[in-house]
Amino acid sequence: MSDQPITNLSESRFASSWSQATGSWLPAVILLLATIVVWEAVVRVFAISAFIIPAPTEIAQSLIAQWATLMQATLVTAGEILFGFLVSVLVGIAIALVIVRFDWLGRALYPLVVLFQNVPKVALAPIFILWFGYGLAPKIGLILVIAFFPVTLSMLAGMQAVDRSLLSLMNSVGASPTQILFRIRVPHSLPNLMAGTKIAATLSVIGAIVGEFAGASDGLGYVIQFASTQLDTALVFAALLLVSVLGIAFYYAAEILERIVVPWAPKFSRW
Amino acid sequence: MRIESIRPAGGRPAHIRHHDDLISAKSVSVTLARQLVLQNIDLSIPKGSFVSLIGPSGCGKSTLLKVLAGLVNPTSGSVSIAGLSPVEAARKRMIGLVFQDANLLPWKNAVDNASMLLGIADKSLSRADLRARGQEMLELVGLGDSAHKRPNELSGGMRQRVAIARALALDPAVLLMDEPFGALDAITRDQMGQSLLEIWQRTGKTIVLVTHSIDEAIHLSRDVHVLGIKPGRITESLDIGLPYPRDLSVTEDPEFVRLVVQLRTMLRASHQPGGAS
Repeated sequence: MSDQPITNLSESRFASSWSQATGSWLPAVILLLATIVVWEAVVRVFAISAFIIPAPTEIAQSLIAQWATLMQATLVTAGEILFGFLVSVLVGIAIALVIVRFDWLGRALYPLVVLFQNVPKVALAPIFILWFGYGLAPKIGLILVIAFFPVTLSMLAGMQAVDRSLLSLMNSVGASPTQILFRIRVPHSLPNLMAGTKIAATLSVIGAIVGEFAGASDGLGYVIQFASTQLDTALVFAALLLVSVLGIAFYYAAEILERIVVPWAPKFSRW
Repeated sequence: MRIESIRPAGGRPAHIRHHDDLISAKSVSVTLARQLVLQNIDLSIPKGSFVSLIGPSGCGKSTLLKVLAGLVNPTSGSVSIAGLSPVEAARKRMIGLVFQDANLLPWKNAVDNASMLLGIADKSLSRADLRARGQEMLELVGLGDSAHKRPNELSGGMRQRVAIARALALDPAVLLMDEPFGALDAITRDQMGQSLLEIWQRTGKTIVLVTHSIDEAIHLSRDVHVLGIKPGRITESLDIGLPYPRDLSVTEDPEFVRLVVQLRTMLRASHQPGGAS
């Protein structure tokens, strides 16, 4: 936090980010529409077979025809993502708190956490299926191992970035380590934690899909795999579209949560 | 070290000074990371006085303040604050600390920031008690109508006022300030100094101020102690005879100008490393 008065700055930043946002939406939308049009044209002009690259209209048709199935699968996947995401955030926070509060345990745990982060976790999917079966549990487990790390790491960074003289102030009035942890370090870490949470939200989507690829009888990942074995590429793309929508929805849900939890956090201009 | 150099020349009779000492440091030396940071500091700070510590970077003046606050233990020598060790005094809320960075909690408004340390020091106080005390202190520092503003809505000077209110909320016997206005612009700095003087006169607190600014030291304090480097030690002490109440017009006083020259000369000498005495 700088020493300058930033009230005016943040106001003007908000105003400019608003005009920036509306101004910069337009090019993105135009590019997207242009891509769809060119895609459609190329597929039709070169008569590309639908099982290699389906035209956008074919994807739309598939989306409408399979709407009920796709919605059911979306609900299943969304449930896995939400559950897995919440577990990841809670476990990530708990690990960070333990590392900071219990010094020796932290020194034991932190290197192991970093070591574990370097395990290619996608490769754990078959093992989780073996251990937990085909239900919800292996997906939650996979999301957890993929998504907890950014939560832990970002919260640790925030908790450790507390100014030393603030700690001196707390020590001088006899604050206990637990008081310093919950009154200072934890709230101080919230902006970082929310940044880590947004990364975890994105990773949770990946975790759920990978979990469904490895073994599932439901969900968008299952639809993608099943449809590709049937050479129903239009359905694959329709399911992919819904996965992307889920990902964006979870990301923005996390961002809205951030604005509610840490209204004091520095805002970045968005586009 | 020459004893006579420690006591300010002239001024109050020695026996009164002795009797009213709130803080006394005797032969305090501090060694940090095998480096002699402070050597043989003798310092007496009378109750209700306004004392500045000034010296070049690396002279250990901030360390000396931390020793007085109980945040750094002296390697040898002793410090007493009203007969207590600094740590005991801090636990009894006798020490208020203000640093260069206000270090306010960005998620709390001004009044909650002002009462934050008090809430930790005294768990028996209710939320309403704390609010009332915080509000009272904000009014004392001239921020009565900014109670509900968050730190990011306050200017640097206002944030430092909240930090002073937070220290005063403990109702400490002594206010230890480490370059509290060091990050502020010249005009804000003058205003803050003047406000601090008024707070000092209204509350009767003992104030120990670490500063880099010759003008600030003379404008505000009754006694100025000059610290030298390598090792950190008190090289000279200057009694500022200018009468209180002082305002900023004191800076145009010929006596003020004379004191500035004198203190500047002392400071220049303090930049020369001294051998072990």
